[in-house]
Amino acid sequence: MADDRHDNASEEMILTFTLDGEIFAIAVSHVNEILDPLPVTQAPCADPFAPGLINVRGAIVPLVDLRQRLGMPPVVVGESSRVLVLDLTVGGEATKVAMLADDVDDIADISSAELEPVPELGVRWPVSLIRGVTKKDGVLVIVLDAEAAFAPTSSQSQKN
Amino acid sequence: MTSPADSFIQEATDILEGLEAILLELEAEPDSASTVDAVFRALHTLKGSGAMFGFDALARFTHHFENAYDQIREGQAQVTPELIQLSLASRDHIERMIAAGPGAEDDPASAALVTEIEKLAGDASPADASDPVVQKTSQQRFVIRLVPDALALRNGTRLDLLLDELCELGDAVVTCHDDRVPSLREIDPTVCHLWWTIELDTSKGRDAIDEVFIFASDCEIEIEDSTSDAAPQVTPVQEAPEKKAPPQTKPAAKQEDKPAAQKSDSVRVQSQRLDELMDQLGELVIAQARLNRIAGDLGDAALAGTAEEIENLVSGLRDSILSIRMLPIEPVFTKFRRVVRDLSTELGKAVTLKARGGETEVDKNVIDSLTEPLVHIIRNSIDHGIELPEARRAAGKPEQARVDLHARQSGGKVLISIADDGAGLDAEAIRERAVERGLIAPEAELSEEQLYGLIFEPGFSTAKTLSSVSGRGVGMDAVRRVIEDLQGTVEVRSQKGVGTEVTLCLPLTLAIIDGLLVKVGEESFVVPLSSVEECVELPPSDDVRASGRSILRIRDELVPFLSLDRLFGFERLDSDDRRVVITSIEGRRMGLVVDQVIGQYQTVIKPLSIYHRNIEGLAGSTILGDGSVALILDAAAVVRRAISTQRVAA
Repeated sequence: MADDRHDNASEEMILTFTLDGEIFAIAVSHVNEILDPLPVTQAPCADPFAPGLINVRGAIVPLVDLRQRLGMPPVVVGESSRVLVLDLTVGGEATKVAMLADDVDDIADISSAELEPVPELGVRWPVSLIRGVTKKDGVLVIVLDAEAAFAPTSSQSQKN
Repeated sequence: MTSPADSFIQEATDILEGLEAILLELEAEPDSASTVDAVFRALHTLKGSGAMFGFDALARFTHHFENAYDQIREGQAQVTPELIQLSLASRDHIERMIAAGPGAEDDPASAALVTEIEKLAGDASPADASDPVVQKTSQQRFVIRLVPDALALRNGTRLDLLLDELCELGDAVVTCHDDRVPSLREIDPTVCHLWWTIELDTSKGRDAIDEVFIFASDCEIEIEDSTSDAAPQVTPVQEAPEKKAPPQTKPAAKQEDKPAAQKSDSVRVQSQRLDELMDQLGELVIAQARLNRIAGDLGDAALAGTAEEIENLVSGLRDSILSIRMLPIEPVFTKFRRVVRDLSTELGKAVTLKARGGETEVDKNVIDSLTEPLVHIIRNSIDHGIELPEARRAAGKPEQARVDLHARQSGGKVLISIADDGAGLDAEAIRERAVERGLIAPEAELSEEQLYGLIFEPGFSTAKTLSSVSGRGVGMDAVRRVIEDLQGTVEVRSQKGVGTEVTLCLPLTLAIIDGLLVKVGEESFVVPLSSVEECVELPPSDDVRASGRSILRIRDELVPFLSLDRLFGFERLDSDDRRVVITSIEGRRMGLVVDQVIGQYQTVIKPLSIYHRNIEGLAGSTILGDGSVALILDAAAVVRRAISTQRVAA
C-alpha cells in the first residue's frame, strides 16, 4: 500500500485471479494466504455482499462476495476455486477478509507507470472500486482498490 | 508492573475507595473506636506513600486530615456529622490531587479544607488539655535498631523521613553505624550499607513508633523498651517480608500494609493478563471440543479416555480462571451509598440505602460496566420515584424513604435489584408520553408491564423538568444498552404508590457462555442458556399458522412462538426433530422453533467482524468441535426483531 507512493514509477507485486472470466488483481501485500474452498456458515439476514463466515485455522473470518458487488452471477465452486484470505483495514480496523475466486493465476510485477486510469465508459463495474487497469500478455487486468472494493455496504457501517 | 507512581495511584485509589466506605460506616456508628482507627490508618498510609512517590502536596494535606483523626483517637475530639461531611469532601479532594499527578502544586481548595478541618478539630475538643488519655501515657525510653534491607533504597524507602518522624515523637539521639560498609572496591552504590540506633524519649508510647514504621516493610526493626522500671524486652517488629523476593514484587507485598483492604495473601495482576489467560483458555476449550469429536469418530477407547480426562482438566481450569476474575460486588455498592447520601441531601429527600448481598461475586468486566447503569437507576429512583417528605407524610408513609439494593446469584445468573418505596411508575403518564413521542400508536393496547418496558426506549423521559440529577439526555435506554451488551436483561415491576423494583439479570461471566446448540436449516446456532427456560416438542397442529408466529400451550400458559428459519429467511427443512426452545426475556416467554436441538454446549464468544456485527439478533460467533462456525444468538434481540417485523407486516 505504502510502496506505491514512493515515486511515480514504483514497482509493485500483484496477484491476479479470475472472476467470471475476467482477470482481476490485488496488491500482494494484502494477501495473507490462499486456501482451498472451506465450508461456509451462512449469516442470517446478512448483507448479500458478506453472506457468511469461514474458519481459517481457528480464526473466524467473514467471507465476502465480490461477484455480488461487481454485478456478476452467483459463484459456482469448482475444481479451480480458491479462497483468498486478505489483510485489510476496514472501517479503521485491521480485519481479515476472505473472498472466493474462480481461479488464482499468477503473481506479477507491475510498475505504477503501467497502471492506466479506468476509462469512464469502458468497464461495466463501478469505477470507484478500481485503482486502474494494465495489460498482461495482451489481456486486460483490472487492479482493485482494496479498501473500496471490500468496504462494508454503507448501511452497515452507518449503524456504527 | 508499571512505574512506582502508577502503583501508588492504584494503591491510593483502593485506599480511597475503602476510606469512603469506612467514613460512611463511621457516620452510622460515630462511637466505634476501631472505625476511627481504620480511618486514621488509611490516611497515614496515604500520607506516607504519597510523600514517597512525590505527591508532596497530597502528603501535606493528608497530614492535617490525619491529625484530626488522631485527636479523635486520643479522645480530644468527637465524630460529628460536620466532620464526616468534611472528611468526605477531603477524601474527594485527595482523589483530585492524585489525578493531578506527582509534583502538583498545592491547590487553593486544600487550604480552605485544612482551615475547616482544623477549626472543627479544635472546636470539638472540649476536654482537651487535661484529657486523661494523654496524661496516662508517661515518658518512656525506647532503643530502636533500624537496619534497612540491602534493597531498601532502591525500593524507594525514605530513611530520612523515617528518622525525621521518629525525632518528632520526642527527644531522640540518632547514631549511624558504618561497620557494615564494605571496601570501596566492593561497594554497590545503590545498596544501603548503613544502620542506625535511635534512643528515643517519648510520651507517645510504643504504638506511635510502630506507626512510623508502618510501611518500612524492607527494614529490620527492633524496638526495645528501656524505661528504667520496665524489663528490657526485645521484640522484632518486622522481618522484612520480601527479603527473598525480587524488588518488583514490592507493590504486591506492600498491600499487606494496606488497612482498607482485607488482610489476605494476594497478588496484584493487571486485568489485561487475565484477559489473555481467558483468551487462551477459550482456544483450549475449542481445541478440546475438537479432540472429543475426533476421539468419538475414531472410537479408540484409550484416546476417548484421554480426551475425557482432558475435558475434566479443562473444565477445572476454566472454573479456576473464572473464579480469579470474580470479584465481590461490595465496592460498587459502596459507591452507591455515597450517591444516595449526596443525592438525598441535594434533593431534600430523606433516603436510606440498604445493600444486601455485597459478597455476591461477579466477573470483573461485568462489574466495571455495571457501575454507570446502576448509578443511573438509583438516581432515577431517588429523583423520580421517591416523593418529597410532605408527600410521603400525606400518603401515610414514613418520611424516611428506602432504596434497597440486593445482589444474589441464581443459577448461572446474577440478579441485582434496585427497589424503592416511592410513588411507583405511572402507567398512564408513560402511555401518554409514549404516544406523544411516537413510540406507540394511540390505540395500542399494552399491558402495564409492556408500558413499563417503554421507559427503556430511546428518547423516553417522563421527568417534566430537568434536574441536575437525571434527565440529562442519557436515559434508561443507555441502561438497557449496557445491560444487553453484557448479555443481560432488565425487568421493571412497579405498583402505584408502593414503589418500583428494577431487576438486572446478568450472566456470571462474559467470555465463556453455556449455550444450547441447535440447528436451523443447515446452520448451527448457540442460544445462551441464560435465556433458555426449557425445550418442548412442536405439536404439528400448532405449526400451521401463516403469520410465522403462533401460540403454544405449555402446561397452563399460552406462549407465543416463532420460527427461526422463517425469521432468518432460511429454507424450510422437513425435519422430524423440530423443537421449540422456550426463552424468557424480561419476564416474557417466547418460543423459538428450531430444526434440531443438539444439546448443551460450553462455548467461547468471538466477536463478529464489522460486516456482521450490526445484524440484530447475533451476539457473536464460535467454532464448534467439527471446525465449523456457529453463530451465537442474542435471544432478546431475536425476539425484538420478530416483534418489530411483525409490526411492519401487520
